[in-house]
Amino acid sequence: MRRNLISAFLVLVAALLVVGLTLSRATRGRAAFSFVNGTEPKTLDPNVMTGEPEGRIAQELFEGLTRLEASSLEPAPGAAESWEITPDGKTYTFHMRPSARWSDGHRVTAHDFVYSWRRMQEPALGSEYAYIMHMIRYAEAFNTHAAQADALEGPIVKALDELVAKYHGVVPQDAVREFDSKQRLHGVLKGTPNPKLSAFLLRPSGDSSQTELLELRRELKTEGARRRALHDEAVRHFGVDGGAYAKDDHTLVVELVAPTPYFLELTAFHPFYPVPRWAVERSPHAWFLPGSIVGNGPFLLADWRVGDRIRLERSPTYWGRDEVKLNSAEALAIENVTTALNLYLTGEVDWLPHNNYPLDLSLDLKKRQDFYVGPALIAYFYRINTTRKPFDDVRVRKAINLAIDRESITRDVLLLGQLPATHFVPPGIRGYVPPPTAISYDVAQARKLLAEAGFPDGKGFPKFGILYNTLEAHKKLAEVVADQLHRNLNIEVAAYNQEWQSYLESETSLNYDVSRGGWVGDYEDPNTFLDIWVTNGGNNKTGWGNLVYDRLIEGAANVEKFLAEPAFLLEHAHDRAALKLLAEQVQKSSDAATRLDAIAKLRLALLAEAEGILIRDDFPIIPVYFYVISGLVKPNVGGFYANLVGADGQTRSNLRDLHPLRSIEMKAAGSTPAGSAR
Amino acid sequence: MIEALTLLFGLALLAATAWCPPRWTRILGSLLFGFVVGVVVRFSFGGAGGVVGGLVAAGVAFRFLPLLVLRRVVFLVPALVLLIFATTVLMYKAPGNPFANERASSPQVEAALRAQYGVPKNANQFFGIYMRRLLVEGTLGPSIKVQGRTVEQLIAPAFPVSLSLGLLALTLSVIFGLSLGVLAGLKRNSAADYLSMGLALIGISLPSFVIGATMMIVFSLWLGWLPVAGWGSFKHLVMPALALSLPSSAVIARLARSGIIEVMQQDFVRTARAKGLPESWVIGRHALRGAVIPVVSYLGPAAAAIMTGSFVVEVLFAIPGMGQWFVKGAINRDYSVVLGTAIVYFGMVILFNLLVDLAYAWLDPRVREERA
Amino acid sequence: MTTPARIDAAPRSPFQLAFRRLLLNRAAVAGALVIVVMCVSCVLLPILLQLDPNHTQPALRNLPPSSRFPFGTDSVGRDVLARVLVGGRASLLVGLASTAVSVLVGVSYGAVAGFYGGKVDDAMMRFVDFLYGLPYMFLVILIMLMFSETARGEMLPVFLALGLVQWLTMARIVRGQVLTLRNQEFVQAAELLGASDLRILVRHVLPNVVGVIVVYATLMVPSVIILESFLSFLGLGVALSWGQLVSDGVAVVNPIRSYWWLLFWPSAFLGLTLLSLNFIGDGLRDALDPKART
Repeated sequence: MRRNLISAFLVLVAALLVVGLTLSRATRGRAAFSFVNGTEPKTLDPNVMTGEPEGRIAQELFEGLTRLEASSLEPAPGAAESWEITPDGKTYTFHMRPSARWSDGHRVTAHDFVYSWRRMQEPALGSEYAYIMHMIRYAEAFNTHAAQADALEGPIVKALDELVAKYHGVVPQDAVREFDSKQRLHGVLKGTPNPKLSAFLLRPSGDSSQTELLELRRELKTEGARRRALHDEAVRHFGVDGGAYAKDDHTLVVELVAPTPYFLELTAFHPFYPVPRWAVERSPHAWFLPGSIVGNGPFLLADWRVGDRIRLERSPTYWGRDEVKLNSAEALAIENVTTALNLYLTGEVDWLPHNNYPLDLSLDLKKRQDFYVGPALIAYFYRINTTRKPFDDVRVRKAINLAIDRESITRDVLLLGQLPATHFVPPGIRGYVPPPTAISYDVAQARKLLAEAGFPDGKGFPKFGILYNTLEAHKKLAEVVADQLHRNLNIEVAAYNQEWQSYLESETSLNYDVSRGGWVGDYEDPNTFLDIWVTNGGNNKTGWGNLVYDRLIEGAANVEKFLAEPAFLLEHAHDRAALKLLAEQVQKSSDAATRLDAIAKLRLALLAEAEGILIRDDFPIIPVYFYVISGLVKPNVGGFYANLVGADGQTRSNLRDLHPLRSIEMKAAGSTPAGSAR
Repeated sequence: MIEALTLLFGLALLAATAWCPPRWTRILGSLLFGFVVGVVVRFSFGGAGGVVGGLVAAGVAFRFLPLLVLRRVVFLVPALVLLIFATTVLMYKAPGNPFANERASSPQVEAALRAQYGVPKNANQFFGIYMRRLLVEGTLGPSIKVQGRTVEQLIAPAFPVSLSLGLLALTLSVIFGLSLGVLAGLKRNSAADYLSMGLALIGISLPSFVIGATMMIVFSLWLGWLPVAGWGSFKHLVMPALALSLPSSAVIARLARSGIIEVMQQDFVRTARAKGLPESWVIGRHALRGAVIPVVSYLGPAAAAIMTGSFVVEVLFAIPGMGQWFVKGAINRDYSVVLGTAIVYFGMVILFNLLVDLAYAWLDPRVREERA
Repeated sequence: MTTPARIDAAPRSPFQLAFRRLLLNRAAVAGALVIVVMCVSCVLLPILLQLDPNHTQPALRNLPPSSRFPFGTDSVGRDVLARVLVGGRASLLVGLASTAVSVLVGVSYGAVAGFYGGKVDDAMMRFVDFLYGLPYMFLVILIMLMFSETARGEMLPVFLALGLVQWLTMARIVRGQVLTLRNQEFVQAAELLGASDLRILVRHVLPNVVGVIVVYATLMVPSVIILESFLSFLGLGVALSWGQLVSDGVAVVNPIRSYWWLLFWPSAFLGLTLLSLNFIGDGLRDALDPKART
């Protein structure tokens, strides 16, 4: 017994020793401001990052040409002091701020931006956000055309040859379709000016003859060569004397493919931040770690303990350092929402951004003074696998859409004033008029449709599953939806989950019946929601495709092209008269400004036409609701704006829960929050 | 199919190492030991240093290490290779890949990332790359989801955290569980007996996240004695260590109780008692040893698990330990992280089971005779 | 031990005698009764009372226990009583069945390894150690893959995934016990008398390990039931179970508002199962104790 005690004591001593050693290097004073940042950031390289937790840190470490003013989230001068825009809206000239400095003392120059943007488009970097810059001239060709040319000249032509060899004479429709989707032709041929290739992509159903395919083969090779040439041209010019290039250290010229009204907002977004060439080249994959990182933003990365916290400290080299009130800030990597809430309640963190508290408590938290809530640019929906029976029948898809009581879901399950979604594009996008919808809660009609599809009273309808990725909130909703469908249509539905990567694989390989989806808008424009549904698009994942839809999205991306040959769309559109009128207005407009305006209107009308197909004709998806942003912030945090006031005096919502630390200040506890803060 | 055969063959080979004659075990074990030491030393002291270090280590091992340890070395090194291979096959057979995201990326982006991280589409190629990295470059490979860091850079700060928390939790459960279990076994239907039952009831039928979250409310929000979560002082340790130790102390208490009851009826204890030896002597000298054998058996794998951290407890208390990487690595298909954590865990299992075997010999002399 | 040393009537097998002794243990009988009653009510009550565990009525969410909903309702207005009862079917089945299989495999594997000792033991334990090392989560994901989408929520894959690891520690514990028993006088005596290995193992060695096996097995049932909720995290759980009710119930452990009934009922049922199994286990142990036999 005694010996046991001795050894137990020795173990205890050893344990305490190890504990002491590991703890001794972990202590540091509390930061002036700390917040919960959700999951651990994957990276702090602004050219590579995609997620929200990453973005929250990056906006403090770096600064784009513009930055977002905290109170309005409108673009204000950042690393660029001023800029000019040409009347056609296509060329921007930025003048760099002379006092802007990197944290190691280097001047922030136009070349830093050119380097960063070119790096972002470098295919070898593998940036997932590269496409967001594709409105800049040469960027898309530089980023994608080499690989597309490789594919066109190599595997695609080879696969086509195999197809031709396999079927002598007529090649059946399904085989061609499979070839199309397997080779991702829609992606590879995106935006092709070749009429024969467009015709192939938009082909009506039917088998193809040998000669047709041989002609296709020729065109594919030509297209490959064309893309190769465009790529080579882009490599010569992009960042050198075209696209985005430095006239000198102080002047950055940016040429756009088409006028982009939200471009100055984008330049405040992390893909457009500059990166320090010298630091990146020293350590290409780890330059953003503490010690080697060089930034130009209001804060420095003082420490980064994985799975614990990131510590930021005020940058002494930032040009606007006098406006920065916080000396230090900490972002805590907390994944458990109950823990996050407890940390907030005990005062260890000052801000709980959205999605970081237990949703079941929404109603109770909503009563608190320090709670804020507002709309978000996020859609919650289900995909329907249109390649599976019986979901290939549009009547079945519509019936399911009509049999869900969205009002009850938002009122009694979600509780925070989320909006029931009978559209796919969230409301509130300026200038966008949503099309009429056919989605409502109408069980009688749903049952009728189901009967027409051959399942009277749900008889004979196969049991199917609603797939969601593992998360409490998704589970709850999927179970409610499954129960509603079961009750309203008398069919068997089961909700089931998979962990994230399996779920993604099931979706991409169309291994599901109905599957949960969510889509966050990158910027305030319907296009960021609608272009995912083009035929065989990488994010489509429903097997659904519609020729008119594809054309509408194409037309919106390049209105000039639509104006050149509007016949096809004018023939198939629902609201032909309106489109015709808008097109005429563009033609008639006398000066550049009115023409720009008319084009913007026409563009939005084309997008609305496209959305109509989703929610009125084809129903490849089940929209459920639009998210809200909600969080908790301590009353003594100043400069925190849950509601925004624009330069025009209009109030708007903080759709992305963005709160730059630059303007945040801590008031003495007990004092009232800043006037319009919430 | 070929993978399955390779695996079976590897397992047969592993089992066969048990029949390796002592002399060969000594030689082979020392060589392997020297090789491992050499590979490690090489990274800090260069090629020559590695060779010298390896040779010295092999010599020392040959001369001084007990056969029992060398036998484990003979097993451990090939077992690690097989484990890496088997895990690679498992990971590649599972759906999903580390580069899939909610937003589909183009094939070229994926190809670029695969090249950068050294994760080809083929399991055997990946195995080759991984082994080369391990042996030639001396790294566990880059993490895909925590970019800019290698797996060893992830594990190095996290392992001591889990280790210290685990040691504390383990010490608590052994002291608490063992004393409670022994008391309960000696005096059935006493207060201690009911307490051990209650402990089992709470420790087993309530998951640790429920216990942890409850403690958080009581000790942090109501009483304000302890910080909610985080890492940085002894106060931060109390709740996670308790939450971590409760299930194992419950098992230990129950096992020890039954062990004591069993042993107290055995002939040698009866004899000792009959001889009139004092009760404490009987218990301390004879009974306890026999009684703790099931506890020791249980502790082998349990200690390995506790000291490599628990995902649930770490996420709940926001502790930057190693347990999270077991789950996150698998969920993210971060292949190198999965392999790195598997290697560490396997090493711990082997180490603790070796300790368990040594403990058997110490607790029961007859086992020692048998194994010698 | 207070059990009578000799029972009148004709000679009986030791197992019949043990059963007799078990019946005399009141706590064990009570435990068995509770388990039986629980199983029967989980199977029959939902049918008799026409309870639907999946019927969502969001307007009636988070209601405390009342006469209409004796166990209250959850956050989407489902009847907790129905959920606990229906969840019990899966949990009890999975818990008892995979424990039984783990015990069977683990005990025989561990007993053989410990009994033969030496190199056989070495080789067999290497295999166990190797299995410990394999990343469990991938094993589970692969098992899930072997079954089709529609097989989700069924028992067999869950059962496989749970049984896969549970037997390892059981094997190590039994092996440790057998290793020490192996060299005791009564085993060696039996060997000298020319008893076969199997006979020695079954008649002499295993009865002495029963206590530990029973204790560990009774603890394994509730831990398996909890572990099942972890599988559902990977997409392999059964549709509704106690483990999942408990892990969903963790949301109620918060300082703002506690819907205690969401956590209390499933935990109470789980705890009751553990308690009853323990009493049965204790009774079994005493009944099978070879020392108490003469």
